[in-house]
Amino acid sequence: MKRFLFAIAVLFAVPAQAATIQNIDLGKNAEVWFTEDHTVPIVAFSIALPAGSAYDPAGKAGLAAFAGAMMDEGAGPLDSKGFHQALGDKAIGFSARVDRDYLVISISTLKENAPEALHLLQLALTHPHFDAEPLARVRTQIVQSLQQDEAEPPRVSSRVFMRAFFGGHAYAHPTNGEIATISSITAADLRGFARTHWVSHGLKVAVAGDITAPVLQKLLGTTFTPVSNHVPPPLPPVGRLGQPGVHVIPLAVPQPTATFGLPGIMRNDPDFIPGYVANYILGGGGFSSRLTDEIRVKRGLTYGVSTSLSSMNRASIWVGSVATRADAIRQTVQVVKDTMQTFADTGPTQAELDDAKTYLTGSFPLAFASNSGTAAQLGAFQRQNLDIGYVTRRNGLIQAVTLADVKRVSKRLFDPARLTVVIGGSPADNRPQRPERPLPPGAPVPPARPAQGQRALANAPPPRSLEKPLAGPVTTPAPTPGTP
Amino acid sequence: MTALPAAAQVKDRSRLSAPAPLNARQTGNNTFQFALANGLQVLVIPDHRAPVATQMLWFKVGGVDDPAGISGLAHFFEHMMFRGTKANPNDTFSQTIAKNGGDTNAFTDHDYTAFYEQIAKDRLPLAMKLEADRLQNLDLSDAHVGPERDVVLEERRMRVDNDPQSLMGEQMRAALHLSHPYGRPVIGWAEEVRRIDRVSAQDFYDHHYAPNNATLVIAGDVTPDEVRKMAQDAYGKVPSRELQPRSEPAEPPRLAETRMTITRADARVPLVNRLYRVPSYSTARPGIAEALEVYAQQMGGDQTSTLYRVLVEQKKLASDVGAGYDGYNRDAGEFSVYAVPRPGVSLEALEKAMDQVLAATAANPPAAADLARAKTGLVASVTYRRDSQFALASAYGQALTIGLTVDDVNEWPARIRAVTAQGVQKAAQSLSRKEAVTAWLVPGAAK
Repeated sequence: MKRFLFAIAVLFAVPAQAATIQNIDLGKNAEVWFTEDHTVPIVAFSIALPAGSAYDPAGKAGLAAFAGAMMDEGAGPLDSKGFHQALGDKAIGFSARVDRDYLVISISTLKENAPEALHLLQLALTHPHFDAEPLARVRTQIVQSLQQDEAEPPRVSSRVFMRAFFGGHAYAHPTNGEIATISSITAADLRGFARTHWVSHGLKVAVAGDITAPVLQKLLGTTFTPVSNHVPPPLPPVGRLGQPGVHVIPLAVPQPTATFGLPGIMRNDPDFIPGYVANYILGGGGFSSRLTDEIRVKRGLTYGVSTSLSSMNRASIWVGSVATRADAIRQTVQVVKDTMQTFADTGPTQAELDDAKTYLTGSFPLAFASNSGTAAQLGAFQRQNLDIGYVTRRNGLIQAVTLADVKRVSKRLFDPARLTVVIGGSPADNRPQRPERPLPPGAPVPPARPAQGQRALANAPPPRSLEKPLAGPVTTPAPTPGTP
Repeated sequence: MTALPAAAQVKDRSRLSAPAPLNARQTGNNTFQFALANGLQVLVIPDHRAPVATQMLWFKVGGVDDPAGISGLAHFFEHMMFRGTKANPNDTFSQTIAKNGGDTNAFTDHDYTAFYEQIAKDRLPLAMKLEADRLQNLDLSDAHVGPERDVVLEERRMRVDNDPQSLMGEQMRAALHLSHPYGRPVIGWAEEVRRIDRVSAQDFYDHHYAPNNATLVIAGDVTPDEVRKMAQDAYGKVPSRELQPRSEPAEPPRLAETRMTITRADARVPLVNRLYRVPSYSTARPGIAEALEVYAQQMGGDQTSTLYRVLVEQKKLASDVGAGYDGYNRDAGEFSVYAVPRPGVSLEALEKAMDQVLAATAANPPAAADLARAKTGLVASVTYRRDSQFALASAYGQALTIGLTVDDVNEWPARIRAVTAQGVQKAAQSLSRKEAVTAWLVPGAAK
């Protein structure tokens, strides 16, 4: 049998588009990045406004997401049906999702319909209706989705984890809110939120596709000029992070999920990039990660374990999750801790670091292989407050990371004694089925969605049972668009 | 419909004995095809926007080919392809792709199994050599089989056992297909997955994994000539194999509708769901599958659809509805309709209202504006698909693997445009409750 010899050279790949990202001037409080490409006659937009769930008022958790879900339910001269038909008649893709900091609107359109797509966006931002019929309907949809979440281990563990981790901060509550708060939200609440937070101050727009800069500039000017540009209220600072210990939220399911995490590293901290590389090696890199090797490959304990380092405007978090059968969940959490400890003590090998760098730099161009991918990637950079030149600097920053950097940052990051762990599901053992550490005040048992409250606006998804085919075996969940 | 598409399958097999010429031949606006002497079919889709390429290797083997009593073997085997060869042991495959800045994964369905890599274009020869290696030199030792079987059981717990809607779909398919292996879950029944061992895996490999059972699709920053040379270098020496014939089950006619009620404590929201057994793109007479596609879009594709307008907005009985057509199969297709009741609405009342909408669409053709909107959305989806190498490669790979042609893919938008209001009405009339399973998912303590 023939043996292949694979030479592994270090890649210094730079995305093909790196040189062609243009700035479009839309005034000093808005940022527009644009990549022109005429291969496919479509245009993709990623538009972010500082209107995430962290701005939900007290007692109104989920207001930002509710307002986002109402964006295509009537605006200006169009009622709900009229708005949906206007999108459908032109096959315009229009969806809004809310994370903790931002409302993110994604639009895809055939190039000839770009003016109509942006006109609809302008109507939605400036003259939203919040009519009674769609309001009641969308409320029911959100409440039913929250009800189903209460039985799903990944949902339960991640939402309780965020509560425990962020305590009283505005990042603590689920983006989609709670059944009680969603039930209390009125049309006046939604209107008030849109008026205060749907503003062009802090607007971030990324565009890729078949359009030219002058046409785009004019189109965006027309779209956003009528949008109020007052300064939205700031977010409160974050206090202490984490509730170390293991918290159990009992659920009668065959496979519990554990969500675990630690304070992370802020995006503007010089240690962020070394921390990002360290995370890749420990748990971010699919089959390349130590956690996958220990838990899945060697022990067959899980289909997927993955971690990520994510930075929001006011806090950063290192968070991961793993699901396994009820009688193995505690053992699996212990393997996570042991693997972290070993990594904090000794750091990666030089070979692991080299491999991480070639993956992270070499795979970067993959994010720019489509218009929708390019818009999503550029939008993610914008939301991390990076400048337009970062796209060309990024691979060099990763190349510059040394073994000493990763060791230092791993010691700073990965302390199993400080780990907050929330198990959604009932471990099969004889321990009492209740929280082993007190949960922070105001953390009710179950409800709501994790980091992204996402609802496809234009297309109702089929029940999951109808999805085909079966994906596998690599399970690194699609990261929130945005390779750091 | 008592479909068994014998014709489609014969056509499918006969293609192997008449490979396309070795020189790349243009077969569409932007597609090129050739075949290697060992039977490997190759399709190239150039896209020069970024210096990256997508490689997909599609095999004509899937869940339908699981041996009796060992459901899940094809999917398990897909996992084993990542467990190493003698030259590239353990997870060297994934590690090498990652070290070179690439992503790799795979997926399995009833009719096919596909493996893919997305990588810088200058690493494409490496990705090809790695695929060619595991196509012929897989190391199926017990040390790998045991842990991977446990991984698959965890995958099943995550996807199916923890998810009442997924369990519901599994039970419905098992009831819909009286004899056909489309009734078996691709991931396998847990009790049967536990039976998988080294011997069954080796046997599966020896009889299904061969260049003459595969289609290679390369999309990206490449030319057809480059790909022809690379593919010849990497795959040309892999020997063809005697293949085990694919399972050719006959499906007897159903004599009655099947109904089921599934009561689960982990279901918090009720659901009524119906699956019809209908013709697929492979089995249908010309135009029939396209009419079903348009009907599904117009009935339940989005918030402008008939079901949404009537059940959700006007009658306020449902909070969510949908319809879908899954026609990309070698054998029968599936048409599905579902509705989620608003609080206080019974599943009985909701299903009755759903049936009234279905009956109305069978009695009258769709309004011109609704038909036009449905067709516009479907035709535009082809333009949107061109934005993604992966989506484009998948569309061609899937079509070729289930027995369709490049022309079928390229002509699809024109065939959708040609669907008439009368054609949609006939599609609605063709749905028969005798060829359907209706299920209710009910929250509550299991009895």
